[in-house]
Amino acid sequence: MLKVERLTLGYGVTPVLEGVALEVAPGEFVSLVGPSGSGKSSLLRAIVGLVTPQTGQIIRGLELEEIGFLFQDDALLPWRTARQNVALGLCIHGVPRKEALEEAEAWLVKLGLSGLSDRFPYQLSGGQRKRVALAQVLALKPRLLLMDEPFASLDAILRTQLTRDLLSWVEGEGVSVLLVTNDLEEALSLSDRIYLLSKGPRAVLRRSYAVPFARPRDPVGVRADPRFGRLLGELWKDLEEVVLCGAA
Amino acid sequence: MRRGLSLLALLLVWEGLALLGLLNPLYVPAPHRVAQVLADLFSEGTLWPHLQATFSAAIFGLVLGLLIGGVLGLLAALVPWVAELLEPVMLLLNAVPRVILAPLLVIWFGIGLASKVALSLILVSVLLFFAVYSGVREVDPRLIERIRTLGGGRWVLLREVYLPSVCSWVLSQLKVAVGFAFTGAVVGEFVAASRGLGYLLSFAQSTFNAALSLALISLIVAFVLFLFTLFERLEQRLLAWKPQASR
Repeated sequence: MLKVERLTLGYGVTPVLEGVALEVAPGEFVSLVGPSGSGKSSLLRAIVGLVTPQTGQIIRGLELEEIGFLFQDDALLPWRTARQNVALGLCIHGVPRKEALEEAEAWLVKLGLSGLSDRFPYQLSGGQRKRVALAQVLALKPRLLLMDEPFASLDAILRTQLTRDLLSWVEGEGVSVLLVTNDLEEALSLSDRIYLLSKGPRAVLRRSYAVPFARPRDPVGVRADPRFGRLLGELWKDLEEVVLCGAA
Repeated sequence: MRRGLSLLALLLVWEGLALLGLLNPLYVPAPHRVAQVLADLFSEGTLWPHLQATFSAAIFGLVLGLLIGGVLGLLAALVPWVAELLEPVMLLLNAVPRVILAPLLVIWFGIGLASKVALSLILVSVLLFFAVYSGVREVDPRLIERIRTLGGGRWVLLREVYLPSVCSWVLSQLKVAVGFAFTGAVVGEFVAASRGLGYLLSFAQSTFNAALSLALISLIVAFVLFLFTLFERLEQRLLAWKPQASR
């Protein structure tokens, strides 16, 4: 589905990220964790061509249009209503305007935003805007979903709800995911595999972990599994090492 | 409403002081005198050619200024060397009180309509230049990334991101532009003209006619306020997507 080989990214002489290789198999949920400044976001941007790599290769087993990108902030077009924002992506993908608006409406309802589709972004709460942004991406039926700390700004309850909704959709559709996050528990409860990046600049891939929990999975319930605590401890230890090592 | 009342109160106090003979009518004529002069101006029909002159200058200046300022702003935002060429000139023009150009414009274009149009055009176009220039340059880069990851190309970006962003900047400056257009026209006439409200103002001054002066001032204020409300309505309609506070 997606393969990144010996990827070096950065501006100027010192790269942010150096010689990184990773892979996302079809239907696989992969998380990328690491200290801030390790180039995680740049890596995602490079995959969709927003950033040009200095060296290395990105092999996409699918069209660019089949990749959905959910950003950290929920910058929707402020001059478009929720519905128009969702429809925009569909229009760009060639769906006629009227159908796009209807489909957008359906997606908003599906994501629990019925009755809010004619609101402008400023009239929505942070969580609602996030759902609109999610609808905008999901409506395009991506086969690979890239997410850059998508729920970082939300409170714990909203975050859990959204994560659960998203996970059930991802599992249902068999979508592959590459998630960038700072939250180790989130990474562990959602992923099949986790990559740990070292501290930037010149961040490298430190380790990868296979996550053994079965699917479909309850991202909250899975935390009660004794293996969850063990893996989390291991991840924490490695992350701390990585951070300290960078500081020295 | 409260503002209207305070204005009314001011007029009443003014009128009262005049009635008590506390104000010298030569300097501060009573409001009813000013209203009388204004009514006479209209009923005698002497005002029309002056109104026409000022309005034509202001409207021409406004339209041409919007066009020229808009096009230059767009060019500067899109073509780097145009920006390098224009930005210093515009910054300079923006920094100085542009009405000081009025006498020069009279020398260049004569005392007719052209010099007034030129002045209000300069006032408006500098304003518009910066509105469009910053409108394009200060487009939220996150929005551009969004549209690109949704698969949008140049055309979509222009229509969905750049145009609305520029429009919101321009719209928020439009009211100011109207005020500027009138300033340009009236000041131009004030400097040298044979017609126009500015000319009448200067005539009132040279004949020591405070009543006429005040009548003209209130007339110009009324016109500009009217246009202001008009553009405010337009702004509210078109910028419904902006939160009230930042509008």
